[in-house]
Amino acid sequence: MASEHLLELVDIEAGYGRAALVLRGLTVRVPPASVVCLVGPNGAGKSTVLKVASGMLPPRAGRILVGGEDVTRNSPQQMLRAGLSHVLQGHSVFKEMTVSENVLLGAYSLRDKAEIAERVDFVKTLFPVVADRWTSLAGALSGGQQKQVEFARSLMISPRVVLLDEPSMGLDPKATGTVFEQVVRMRDAGTAVLLVEQNARRALETADLGCVLDLGRVHISGPAADLLADPALGELYLGNRTAGRRQFSTPGADNT
Amino acid sequence: MPSDSDLVTVPARARTSTTTRVAKVLGLLVLAGLVISFPSLAPDSFILSVGVVIASYAVLATSWNFVGGFTGYISLGHAAYSGLGGYGTALLITRADVNPWLAMVAAGVLVAAFAVPVGIASLRVRGASFVIVSIALVLILLLVFQSWGSFTGGSNGIRLPRPFGDDVLRPEQHERFFYLHAALLAVLLLCWWAIDRSRFGMGLKAIREDEDKAQSLGVPTFTYKLVVFVISAFFTALGGGMYALWFGFLDPIFQFSILVGSYMVLMSLLGGIRSLFGPLLGAVIVGYAMEFFKAQYGDTQAHLIAMGALLAIVVLFMPDGIIPALRGLVNRFRPQAASIREVSAAELAEQRRAAEDTGGSERGEKEEVRR
Repeated sequence: MASEHLLELVDIEAGYGRAALVLRGLTVRVPPASVVCLVGPNGAGKSTVLKVASGMLPPRAGRILVGGEDVTRNSPQQMLRAGLSHVLQGHSVFKEMTVSENVLLGAYSLRDKAEIAERVDFVKTLFPVVADRWTSLAGALSGGQQKQVEFARSLMISPRVVLLDEPSMGLDPKATGTVFEQVVRMRDAGTAVLLVEQNARRALETADLGCVLDLGRVHISGPAADLLADPALGELYLGNRTAGRRQFSTPGADNT
Repeated sequence: MPSDSDLVTVPARARTSTTTRVAKVLGLLVLAGLVISFPSLAPDSFILSVGVVIASYAVLATSWNFVGGFTGYISLGHAAYSGLGGYGTALLITRADVNPWLAMVAAGVLVAAFAVPVGIASLRVRGASFVIVSIALVLILLLVFQSWGSFTGGSNGIRLPRPFGDDVLRPEQHERFFYLHAALLAVLLLCWWAIDRSRFGMGLKAIREDEDKAQSLGVPTFTYKLVVFVISAFFTALGGGMYALWFGFLDPIFQFSILVGSYMVLMSLLGGIRSLFGPLLGAVIVGYAMEFFKAQYGDTQAHLIAMGALLAIVVLFMPDGIIPALRGLVNRFRPQAASIREVSAAELAEQRRAAEDTGGSERGEKEEVRR
């Protein structure tokens, strides 16, 4: 299949240690220059999808394709080289290092100095706070600013797909707004984004496509706007009514 | 974003960095002057020998800090490498009749080779487990060197011939070894400084902060840890070898002692493991304090109690060490430093607007100062 998708996770089964499977035959496809958002209750396996895609958690079954090429057994470093950049949940800047060091660490697998300089200019334009605070300690920045440094770091290798795990976690509404604006800017600059977000409504408003996960499978997928407009989904997942959630919670399978 | 405030802040920043640079150069010159003039300032041969001991500790602590400072892996067992460096030097001289200085370097190389498998085995574990593994090696070596009397001299120790010959008097010997230790220390500091500024150093510091994250960014964490561990072992062995040549006698109970390794850690923590001169400063303070307590109270355990108290004080009040604490203190008195005071919401909004106008460059400068 000559793929029109940048990243494809096909029939993935994955889990932690000897515990039960978290992902049970999940399929997600990310087209070029799009934002694909995974939503679903806690324990649905959203973060696990990203860990599988970045090579941190090898799947027990299924295939991972990047640009049609099978990369299922790649190590995290090989996934990075294949063009998958993972921005971890929570604050993952190196707090005791400067913004510049943080950003340059993103280019660690690159050797060409000219290329690195070019990427630095690119991310500085995309994220002005990176340029402004270049010599500051990353730990001295606000949560939203740190998130932008992480974004900049993830873009240093010119990734084909950025995997974003809960970028709005712990941010105030204003900073959350900025973060989602930056996600759109990343997409407009040509990078596809696979986004996991608790703030489902806000994420679906930003995304092009949405996938609703539950019990380790994709239940419904389609254009994000359609998912938002679906009244049944609104009740189940977007907080219009919370009582219905109970039946979907999976004991023992945490979101971490 | 050119604005009026940019015209003010940029020269201010330039001035700060020039002042800092001049201060750094001056500081280095003063330090070099002190080191060079110490032997002629020392009132007697005993003080001179204390200087050599302190210089030796500074070499060992700075060598330790290649692993401890860059990767955050706390090795309590670096006495293994200083002891092996000393014994390697002694055995090469006495058993193989090698030139003393060549023996010292050869012992360093041998210890570095020995550190490769040790590193491969021990660097797999982190935190407390790594500390335990590092201690285990020292205890094993102590037993081996005590029991293998026919080769190592056993508990009776081993005597080294004086490298400068018997006609060089003791004070003269102390002076030469003080300068030799200082030269070795200078090489170590230069290497540490070069790594600190390199791509390699950036990867190591990322390991120190979060090894998993560093790995996810493509830093070859295991290789890096191993390389810097071997470098550290090599320099520690050189330090041990040079000490052996100076002191002229080795006893396994002192060479392979947990205390020696603990001193390296204490000195580095005290001065600041993230600072180039941290271990040196720590060695001067701890080394002087130890000699003081030994001179005052004789061969009692008083100096150990004092060291324990010192370690507790450091951990409680200066977890980052003296140098970062001093830096923080200096910055507090700088005019640009931010101070906490109550402001009204209106003032805050006004400050925000002003900050946004300048594009954050002013804030950036404050952060620099705070470092």
